Amino acid sequence: MSLQWTAQRERGSRGSLRLIRWIGLRLGRPAARAFLYPITLYFLIKAKPQRLASRLYLTRALGRPATLFDIARHIHCFAATILDRVFLLSGRDRLLDIRLHNPECVLERIDSGRGFLLLGSHLGSFEAVRALAIGRRSLPLKVLMVPEHNQVITEILHALNPQAAETVIPLGTPESLLRVKESLDQGCMVGLLGDRSRPEEDTLACRFMGEPAPFPTGPMTLAAATRAPVVLFFGLYRGGNRYDVVFEPLTEGIAPERRQRAQAVEHWTRRYAERLEHHARHAPYNWFNFYDFWDETGIGPT
Amino acid sequence: METLAPLEQEVAQLIIETLHLDDMQVSEIDPTAPLFGEGLGLDSIDALELSLAVTQKYGITISSQDPNIRSIFASLRDLSAHIAANRSR
Repeated sequence: MSLQWTAQRERGSRGSLRLIRWIGLRLGRPAARAFLYPITLYFLIKAKPQRLASRLYLTRALGRPATLFDIARHIHCFAATILDRVFLLSGRDRLLDIRLHNPECVLERIDSGRGFLLLGSHLGSFEAVRALAIGRRSLPLKVLMVPEHNQVITEILHALNPQAAETVIPLGTPESLLRVKESLDQGCMVGLLGDRSRPEEDTLACRFMGEPAPFPTGPMTLAAATRAPVVLFFGLYRGGNRYDVVFEPLTEGIAPERRQRAQAVEHWTRRYAERLEHHARHAPYNWFNFYDFWDETGIGPT
Repeated sequence: METLAPLEQEVAQLIIETLHLDDMQVSEIDPTAPLFGEGLGLDSIDALELSLAVTQKYGITISSQDPNIRSIFASLRDLSAHIAANRSR
């Protein structure tokens, strides 16, 4: 019963994403953006769990009770970045004004040939960074991803840009992290997201906007095991066609000794949560976790 | 449970030391039980660290591109057989 429902929902979202792609590529960005308003209204009315999650988050992020207008703005921001993915991955990123902040910390490391982890989040657009790497062949980027996560989106985006598919390292097999290590040794940057945890994953309760929220410890454990430096990034959407991609070095490497590791992993996971909060406060509508992020049962997005 | 061959004992010791499975004895590891998921319950991070330790100790590189990668890590017996066949020290 529930399986059928999932399959149905999958078909539904596959259809609407195809539609977004078609509109985006056929009609162009300005016309496609006009569709964002009815789409926003539709989700504002229909998607109750997401609306509640948005209200919960925005009330904390804005420091005042969120209004329905705030929630509409939040959904619109999300829809706009989903649409822009179509342009980013089909090589039409010239339509967008993407400004890089502190790219030296990435470029210098790449030049030195030392691989590192590029740790992002669901704050803003991950694709803004990925498209730059695919566009400029000289930036070697691999992306560590849960394969079933966003499968429909991934499938369609890969149809837009087959090269994007080659850069994915699927999580969840014994050899996944071996591939990460090999990529790092070859001087690649390996991108991953550090804010969402999966139900079976180890988490640490970190203070986030005043309340403890479960953060996965996997990313920092991986950093410790590979001894790789960690650079944070945030692809923040500012409205119109403007994106700010911010890079920020987090650590040159986490103490690798397994016995002292737990403490170091906790320290850097908390530090990540602090930096995420900092950027989320400055770009509150870029938060694309539409579920109760603070729910300590770690059920995560549905 | 089956008894361990000498190399299997050595690799079991390496697994326990590398992954700090402090509450485990070599004799407790079933050589045919899966290392990942059920059985020992190792995860992807453990696989990475175990590969690095095997590389250091036996001079063989386990590549993620190896078509037999899954069977290499299937059990202690399989891992030991792979080391025996490819070791350079």
